This record gives sequence, structure tokens and C-alpha cells, in this order.
Amino acid sequence: MNDRTRPLTAAKARPAPPREPVLVVRKHDLWVRVSHWGHVPLLVGLIGTGLAIYWAAPVFRHAPTPGNPRGDYLADLGIALASRFGTSSAPSLWLYERASLGPSQLASALRLHWLFAYLYMVCGAMYVLGLLRGGGWRALMPRASDPAEALAMIRFYLGVIPNALAKRPWPHPPVAGKYNALQRGAYLTMPIVGLLVVLSGWAMHHPATLPWLERAFWNYDGARVVHFVCMLILGGFMVPHILLVAADGWDTFRSMVTGWSLRLKGTRHGH
Amino acid sequence: MATDRERAGAKAPRQRADEKDARKRSRAKRPTLGERLRRVAAAAAEPPEETFEARPQWLASRSRRDFMLFGAGILVIAATGWWLLPERTKRRWLPTAHDRLDSLAARVGLTPEQRERQLNRVLTFDDDVAEALYSRTRAVRTYDRPDLRPLRNNYHGRTPGPEHVAGWRLNLTGLASGRAESLGLGELTSRFKRHDMNTRLVCVEGWSHVAAWGGLRFADLLAAFPPAAEARWASLRSNVSLNGRGEHEPYYVSLDLETLRHPQALLATHHAGAPLTLAHGAPLRLVVPMKLGLKNIKAITDIAYTTDEPADFWNERGYSRYDGI
Repeated sequence: MNDRTRPLTAAKARPAPPREPVLVVRKHDLWVRVSHWGHVPLLVGLIGTGLAIYWAAPVFRHAPTPGNPRGDYLADLGIALASRFGTSSAPSLWLYERASLGPSQLASALRLHWLFAYLYMVCGAMYVLGLLRGGGWRALMPRASDPAEALAMIRFYLGVIPNALAKRPWPHPPVAGKYNALQRGAYLTMPIVGLLVVLSGWAMHHPATLPWLERAFWNYDGARVVHFVCMLILGGFMVPHILLVAADGWDTFRSMVTGWSLRLKGTRHGH
Repeated sequence: MATDRERAGAKAPRQRADEKDARKRSRAKRPTLGERLRRVAAAAAEPPEETFEARPQWLASRSRRDFMLFGAGILVIAATGWWLLPERTKRRWLPTAHDRLDSLAARVGLTPEQRERQLNRVLTFDDDVAEALYSRTRAVRTYDRPDLRPLRNNYHGRTPGPEHVAGWRLNLTGLASGRAESLGLGELTSRFKRHDMNTRLVCVEGWSHVAAWGGLRFADLLAAFPPAAEARWASLRSNVSLNGRGEHEPYYVSLDLETLRHPQALLATHHAGAPLTLAHGAPLRLVVPMKLGLKNIKAITDIAYTTDEPADFWNERGYSRYDGI
């Protein structure tokens, strides 16, 4: 009996939604939203297949050691992780078996990598066009005030946890515009790194027919190193990005799905 | 100098002064560099945020619609992602559930056969891009010096023994003459000019090596023994290749004649200044630096020119067909 009445009373207790119109902020262009989410499976797919390709011929290597005859640093990392988390299979393959399609899957990995790579280029172009279409690119342009603002933001982030523990007020530095200086830097870096990862990919894929592109990365192995470092930056970006969106709250997440936000300037990071 | 003075003298002094003034005025009108930068900065400045009024019910229904589309997108991508995974990866990641998920996927038409068809279309598309980028007149990058470390023998099987080299002959078929030709190594090296080049051999696995090659141009062989008029392809074959257990297992590659006519497509007899070793394809191997290493077939025994694309060892094992780099 109680079970049936509880939801009703709970609904009654909630304040009635306001009838009068509310002010909302336009945040992200449709193309930006669609391609933003498209990047998630594509990056996961590209890294998963890319590591399976990397397994066939690692770039970063040291002299051979007993458990690691190829001297592959990622095998070392796998061995370290395997001893930490425990595993029954070959420890040197620990990372490749979990973060990629796995060892001895080169043909499958290459096919999928090309598929995801072409889609990634389409998705990236869509993102940039969306930024241009909706005017979102203006919020990403660097400003003279960026270095000082970035330092203030770093100071703020470093102090969040100690001040929360000490229950001291710790106000967010003022933000002039859609993003703070650190966000601006990070969000502008991503399309640039995205372009670099595509160019270095083409340089490795066609060193003979696009020799000028191969030379732009010094040589074939130079392109492989740039490609790998770009992967680390793109993958590494996701960690603070997801954490900070989670910390910022539902409105920020929703705005990347629906395009609008209820958070008007001055309501959160008040000036 | 003299012409300058003549030209200047041809004009009346008054007119000259007017021109000077006009130039000065237009220079004054033209913005300075600082002004221009300020204008660019103003154009790139972030405008105040764009707001609009909306009824809460409208926002709620919009939000509901968008999140339903978002959820549908996640489901579609998860199903597609699962379908695209190789069988071995699926078995390893979900050893107990993969069968049930596969039959669920097959019910909506996402079968392994479909996947193979679609992914092979991706390979074909990528090959078409590679072919469009290729030009017979564009030289592949050469290097002053080859790499010093020894060249890796990455053949999947064992190296054939020396016994085949003594009686070795190259068999040509599919020629315009209609005859089958058989050439000895001496005939090839005496008849055709030797060319040397340091080019990068790029393996499909990702490693590469700048090697010093010497040999005859494939284009010269094509000129001396022209293929049949309708031929578009060459099937290059090594009948002496061995598999990993040392058993006889021919290796064969398909090559388009457009690639073989490239001046840097060599039938190599030498590596690093010495005749080819058995490990690197003695007595004759193909060097095509515009293709992946796996097309650079070792110990060639047969060349057949064909109208249709011939079989290719690694294409039959899931790799691409054209392999242009």
C-alpha cells in the first residue's frame, strides 16, 4: 500500500515547474555536438586498432631483456601492470590484450584502422565546420590575458581539494567568456593535434607517393613518433576532460547533447 | 637608370607633385600593421553569449528528444562496434557471452560474412586512393647512404637452400610474341644496364630500412620482352619458397604494369654492393619502393602477364591488394 502512495507524495512534494519562459544560452552547434560524440567511438577504435598495429613493430624500444626480447617499452609496461593486477597469460602482452585488438591481428587491425581513420577525417572536418558555422571558433582563440588567467586557474585547481577539506571558501577565478584560459588552450589544441595525427598518418601510409609529407616529419620513423605522441595527447586529454565535466555537473554534459544551457554568465562563476 | 630619368623627365613637374600627394594620401588611408592586427582581433573576439527565451515544457520535450537520439546513437554504435571486432578479440574479451551476442547481431543482419564484405570494401577504397596518388613519373625518395644495421629477413617461411641458384632460370609468359621465354642470370645481367639506388623498404608491420639495391629496370625487361597488348597485370612467383616448417610453398604477388614501368622498379641482383644472399632473395628479387615490402618478392622464378588481376599471397590472408605506399 505504502509503495503505491510514496511516488505520488514525492511528486506532490516537488515544486511545480515554472510556467513562464526562462532564459537559455545557446552553447554548441549541432554539427559540433554530433561530431564531438562521434569522436569518442572513433578514438577508442583508432587507439585499439592502432596499438594492435604498433604491436607488430614497436617504435620505442631498448636493448632486449629476458622477458622482453624485442625491448618494447609497452611490453615492459604490460609486465609491470600484470604483476600489479595479476594475470595468467603472457605478461608482456598484458597491455596489448586489454587495450587493443590483441597480438597477431595485424590484417584485421589495419582494415579497421583505415575505416576509422577515414571516418575520423570526416568527423574532424565536421567539427571544424561546426565551429565555423556556429561561430564557436571565436571562443577558442587565444588572448593576451590567457597566461595570467591560466595561472589563476591552475592555482584554483590545486587549491580545490585542500580548501574543501578545510571547509574554507575557495572562489572560482572570474571567467570572461564561454571558457576559461585552460579550457581555451586545451580545446584549441585538440583540433591542431587532430590535424597532426591525420597528417602523420598519411605520411606513414604513403611515404612514397607523398614524399613531401614524409619529409615534413623528418622521415618515416619521425612520422610514426609524431603519430604515437599525438595519440597520447588525444587519449590523455580525455581523462581530465571527463573528470572536469563530471565535476562541473549535469548542465555542462546536457549542453553537449541538446546545445543549450540554463547556466547564464554570472550565475556560476559570478563576476 | 637612364630610362628611369627619361620617364621621369617626360612628366610635367606639376603632375609629378600631384601623383606624390595621391600616393601619400592612399598610404595614409592604408591601415598600419597594428591597425590590421587590431581589426583581425576584433573579428575573432568572442561575442557576448547568445540567449533566447523558451518555455520549460518546450525545453523538456527538446531535451527528451535529444537524449533519446543520443541513446539510440550509443546503441547503434555499440552494436556496430561489436560486429566489427575480429572473432578472436571477441572470444578473448567475453568468453562466455560472445556466442549469444553474435547470434543477436546476426538476427539484425550483422553477420561475420557481411562484416568481411564491408571491411574488404574499405580496403578496396583505400587501395583506390593509393592508386590515385601514384604516378609513374614521380620519383620515390632516395637516400645518400643506406642504413648501417643489417637488413632484416622478415619472410614468414624458411630460406631456400643454395641448390636452386645454380640451375636458376626466369620464365616469362603472357608475352606479345605468344612464346614462353626462359632467361638465365647471365643473360639478364649482360643484356640490361645495371641501376643502383638507396630506397626505403617499408614493411606492412611498420618497420622500415633504407637499403642499397642494384639491378636491372623492370621497364627494360618489359621493353625487350613486351607483354601481350591486353595485359594489365603481372603475376610474380617464387617456386622455391618454403613455409615455416621448410616445406615447399610458392609465394606469389600481383603487380600492376603501371608500377612495374616506374624507373625505380628494379629486378635486383645486388644488395649492399654484393650479389643477393639467399636470405634476401638470390639470385633475383623485385624491389618496388612504391609498394609495401611484401610485394618485393624474393627469388623470382616465374613472371606471367595477365589481363585480369592475378592472385596475391597476402591478399588471400586479409591484407590489401594494391599495397601502394
